[in-house]
This record gives sequence, structure tokens and C-alpha cells, in this order.
Amino acid sequence: MTRITDGMMVRTILRDLGSLEARLRTSQERAATGKDITRPSDDPFRAGRALALRSELEGIRQQQTNVGEATSWSDTTDGAIGRLGETALRARELIVRGATDTMSPTAREAVAAELDQLIAAAKQEANTAYDGRSVFAGTATAVRPYRDADDDYHGDDGVIAREIGPGVAIGINATGRQLLGGGVAAGDDRLLHVLRDAAAHLRAGDPAALSALRTSDLSRMDNVVDGLSQARAAVGAATNRLEIAGQRLALAEETATKLLSDVEDADMARTLIDLTTQRTAYEAALRAGAQIVQPSLLDFLR
Amino acid sequence: MSIGSFLGIETARRGLVAQQRALDTTGHNIANVSTPGYSRQGVALAAGRPLSIAGGGPQGGGMQIGTGVDVVNYQRVRDTFLDLQFRAQAMRLGDASARTRSLDQVELALAEPGDDGIGAQLGRFWSGWSDLANAPEAGAARQSVLDRAGTLAASINALDAHLSGVQAGARTELDVLVADTGDVRAYATELAGLNDSIAAAAARGAQANDLMDRRDTVLDKLSALAQVRVEDVPGRPGALTVFFADVDPAATPLVDGATPADAGAVRAWPLTLPASPGGQLGGLAALADTSSGPVAQYRAELAAVAQTLMTAVNRAYTADGTVAGNFFSAAAGNEAATLAVDPAVTAGNLRAGTGAGSNTTALRMAQLRGRPAPENGADDAYAALVTRIGSEVRAARREEVHAQVLSDAVEDRRQSTSSVSLDEEMTDMIRFQRGYQASARVMSTMDDLLDTLINRTGRVGL
Repeated sequence: MTRITDGMMVRTILRDLGSLEARLRTSQERAATGKDITRPSDDPFRAGRALALRSELEGIRQQQTNVGEATSWSDTTDGAIGRLGETALRARELIVRGATDTMSPTAREAVAAELDQLIAAAKQEANTAYDGRSVFAGTATAVRPYRDADDDYHGDDGVIAREIGPGVAIGINATGRQLLGGGVAAGDDRLLHVLRDAAAHLRAGDPAALSALRTSDLSRMDNVVDGLSQARAAVGAATNRLEIAGQRLALAEETATKLLSDVEDADMARTLIDLTTQRTAYEAALRAGAQIVQPSLLDFLR
Repeated sequence: MSIGSFLGIETARRGLVAQQRALDTTGHNIANVSTPGYSRQGVALAAGRPLSIAGGGPQGGGMQIGTGVDVVNYQRVRDTFLDLQFRAQAMRLGDASARTRSLDQVELALAEPGDDGIGAQLGRFWSGWSDLANAPEAGAARQSVLDRAGTLAASINALDAHLSGVQAGARTELDVLVADTGDVRAYATELAGLNDSIAAAAARGAQANDLMDRRDTVLDKLSALAQVRVEDVPGRPGALTVFFADVDPAATPLVDGATPADAGAVRAWPLTLPASPGGQLGGLAALADTSSGPVAQYRAELAAVAQTLMTAVNRAYTADGTVAGNFFSAAAGNEAATLAVDPAVTAGNLRAGTGAGSNTTALRMAQLRGRPAPENGADDAYAALVTRIGSEVRAARREEVHAQVLSDAVEDRRQSTSSVSLDEEMTDMIRFQRGYQASARVMSTMDDLLDTLINRTGRVGL
């Protein structure tokens, strides 16, 4: 038969209280932090998973920032190209009006002057900046792509891309060279080149010039207008893609957040019930301990 | 042979003395009810040597008459087999506790999963590049990338330094324990002294119960430190030869039981420990091991994380072929401790891309986030390290709990045999007190008899 002695009783009570306290502390920590795992050793596999999910979540949030940034950029680009399109249409009307033989030289000069104004306006539009960066200058965002002095394009052909998903980047810029071109010197049949030619033909006023105005200038102008619409459509497509990416990222964020919560967070109802149960057990153990330790044979001897 | 008239008084006297000794022992037990390592003692009583009476028996043969009680011995109640079991568990517990204590620190230093761990900082580092890709011209974004890279590198350095600190701490603790002035030697000296006293008592035919308790307590403490083996010494009863931290029978004992303390019973110092001494020393030795211990392996893995990160980042940073310098630099073979942003990289010359507003480099860097090897692999390797440390801490803690439970179970059985029960002692006290009273009564009855004989005999009619 096992002898039970006073020392053993005290040891057992202390040990039991100690283990109850340890469990109580774990539950309390869970309830206080709301986390099921506060250290890797609580559940090594889940801790590794939590780490991966946190990293994924950080990436998703960053990509959401990127998408927002890229959308603003696209909106700026889209607005500017839209206004360039309007300018081109207005210029086409002027060319059609100025191409009539009946117009006086003075009137033609006035139309040519208005074309000059439209050229200046288009160049100004092409100098549009977002957050201090020229949007149509390729990657040379610090420079204004067009100057008043000449029609040359001063930007580069660099592509500006934004990361909108893991390993997914899309280009979001259009360059001045594609839209306005480099003027007569470049000979690229873009907006500036065509408008400069048209203004020159108007000012020359001879039948050959007027004929060129009616035929080649007008058809080239049509191409320019088409080109601008296409450029705008491309920007629109990019904006669309950004929007879809944004929706996908929002969904991904929701999923990752939920997964992370499943992995990391404590089940509050269960934790609180555990906590209450353990506190009851602890109090019962304390009371029982106090009652067991007290009496001995000494109390009953004279 | 006739029987002396005073035999009865003598018998009663011996009864009184024996009961008093038993009461003394009970008092001793009660006094030591909470002394650690104390084994309850008992008085071994035996009926005294009887007197033989020649003739007068039923068949005319001899008879024997009892002469009361003798105290044969004072015994301590102890099971040496349980001591062996306890010491085996104490050794396991010492090992597991030492490991758990240090590995806990390692785990705390990780600060995972959380917002301050290296995992989160890696994430912020990649995000920094992504921000730079959004605004490659901005000085603030460049500075932010540099700051985040610096913090990440510093965190890896700090974790490595912490791990190295854990190793150094274990080494120091180990060195202190086995030093000239350390616990091991102090215990050994105490054992040698106790051996002398116990052997001297044994030579006088006495059993030194309380000294043996003390010796067992010291052996318990010693066994928590490392493997302990004891042997009796044939030529010197009572003394024990103690082998420490070594299972090799030919090894020099820590304390040589055949030699008196002042003649060099304690082995020569310094003590050279074998590869796995077991116990706390074994745990500490494994932690301090700089080539194959658990902490050494964590450091190697952390260095691999730093190395992978550095390779991936530098490859992406220089991929255009137009950059001369790397982004991260570190001393080869010691990447975790020395990883840093290359001193040549500044906020001014940090490359975001091929030109002023180009973000190709930053974009390439941002897309390394969470990519597996061979592109990156640092995030994965770090997560694997965290999982591994978590598993091993968990295993160490479980081992400690297991050893604690077993050691408690053995200790309970030991206590069940050896520790003092006040109820029992109280009962004994009543028993011995009553025995004493009864013996005294026998004596006064004998006195009455003699009174009758001496004072009243031959006085008929007076």
C-alpha cells in the first residue's frame, strides 16, 4: 500500500496548482491577445503557414496601393489623350474650312494662326504631369516632352510598368512620340507634323498647296485622329485591366485575411469557456488543498 | 541456576530505555518532517538475550526466561533502487530543462508570428521596392528602400547575435559549473568528506543515517548535472566511489571511495567532459556546440537565408548589366552576422531602373517577393527556419514535461517510502509513551514485590 505523507500531500497540491496555473495562463494569453498561436512552438506548422499568409497579405496590400497609383496615372493619361483628340478634331475642321478656294488670304492666315494655337495647346496637353512627373515623356519623367521653341520630342520611349499581381506587371504609359510625334523634322505624319504642314499649305495659298490640303493633309489628319482614338482605347483597356486587378486583389485580400484569421486567431467563445472552466478548477483545487492540508491527527489528540 | 530477584527491575529498566530511545527517534523524525532528502528513521527493537534455567522444565530439561528488550539498530527507511531510478530521471530532466530554457530564448528572439519579426520586415522590404517602382524619381521612396533594407539586415544580424549569445551563455554556464570553484567540485569535495565520516562511523559499527541522507541528496543534485554511477568500496565499508559524466568503467572516478578526503579522493581538476555527459551539462554542451548543436544549426540556416536573400537581390539589382556594385554585401561564410546594405549604395545612387524615371530594377526586385528558389527562396527558407525552431522548442518542452512527470512519479514513490508522516509519528508517539508508562508500572510493581519481601517478610505477628 502506498504511504501518503504530509510532504507528499503538499507536493502534490503544489504541482497540481502549478499545472492549473500554467493552463490558466495560456488561456488568459489567448483571450488577451485574441491569438491562438503567439509563438512558433504553439503550433509550428500553423506558425509557418501564418508567416506565408502574412507575407502574401503584405504583397496584396502593396499591389492594391500600386493599382490605385496606376489607376490615377491612367486617368490622367486618359483625360489628356481625350483632350488631344478634341484638339485634333477641331484642327481637322479648320483644315476642311481653310481648304476652300474661295477663302481670302487674310481669312486663311487667321485659320493658320488658329492651327498654330492648337499646336501650342496640344504640346501643352502633352506636357501633362501627374504628381510632378510628365506622363507622356516615357521614363524621362523629369523633363517636359515638348518645348515652345521646337516641335522635337524630348522624352524617351521607355515603358512605365506597375506591379499589379505576383509576377504581373502592365505598362501604363503612352509616349508623346506616339501621340504628337516630333514635328516636321521627324517626318512621322503625326499630329504636329500634319498640323505644321497644313498651316504652311494654308499660308502658301497657291492651288497646289490647297489641293494638298484637301487631299493628303486631310487624310493624314484622319489617320492622326484614328491614332489618337486607338491610343485612348489602349489606355482604356489598361484602366479596365487595373480595375479587374483591383477587384481580384480585394477578393484575394479578403480570402487571405480570413485564412490568416483561421490559422492565427483564437476561437473566442471556446477560449472564454476554457478560461472560466479552468478558473473554476483552479479555485476548487485551492479550496480542496486548503482543506486537505489543515487537519492532522494532532487536532484530535489531547 | 536461579534467577536474581532484581531481574524484573532490570527488564523494566531496559523497557523504559528502549521506549525512550524510540520516542527520541520519533522526535527526530517529527523535527525533520520538512527537511529535504531526510529519510524517516526507525528503532529496530529485539527481545533481549534470554536467561537459561537449567532443570525444572516440563521434561526436566532447561528453560529460557526473557530479559526484556534491546535496541538493535537505528534504521533509515529508504529504497536505494528508487534512488537509482530517480537519478536517471533527474539526469534527463536536467538535460531537457537546460535545452528548453535556452531554446525558449531563441524562440522569443524570433518574435514570430508578429509584426516585428524578420518575416514582416522581409515583406516591408519588398514593399519598399514596389513603392519605389511607383515613384522611381522620388527621393523619399529611395530613402525608404534603404531604411527598410538596413532594418532587415540589422534584424538578421541581431538574431544571429542573439543565437550566438545563447551559445556563449550555455558555454559560460557550463564552464562555471565545472570550474575549480564550480558546483561539481564543491559537490565532489562534500562527497569525499561525507565518505570519510560515514566510513569512520561504519568502522565503529554504527550506521550514520543522517550523513547518508546528506550524501544521497548531494548525489541527487550531481545526477541532475550529468550521468552519475556509484560503487561500493570493498575495503572500506560505508564509503562510495562516484563516477561522473562517464560510463566508461575504467574512467577515473570523481570521488574515490577508497581514499580519505585529505589524501586526494577528489580527482584532479580541471575536469574534461566527454562528448555527451548527459544531464544539464550535456544539454548545455549541445547548446554551446558551435559546429553541430541545435543553435549552431539555426545559425547555419539563418546564414543560408541571408545568403539566399543577398544573392537574389544582387542578381536582380545588377540584371541590367549597367550597375557596377551590389546592393547587399556580407562576409562570405558569416552572412547572417555581416549582412548589410553595401556601403557604396546611397539614397542618391540607388538604382530604380535604367534611367531617371525608369523603374525596371525596382519592379524586378518587388516581384521577388515570396518567390521560391532559384529566383529568391529567402522568404521560404526563413519560414522553414521558424517552423523548425518551433518544432524543436515544442519537442524540447514536451521532453521536459515528460521527464518532469516521470521524475515526479519516482519522487512520489521515494517519498512514499522515506518521508515522515506526522500521523504515523503521532501514533508511534502514543505507542511508545504507553510502552514507557507500562514499563514504569512494571517497575513499581516489582518495587512493591520487593517491598513485600524486604519490609514485611518475617514480621508475622508484629
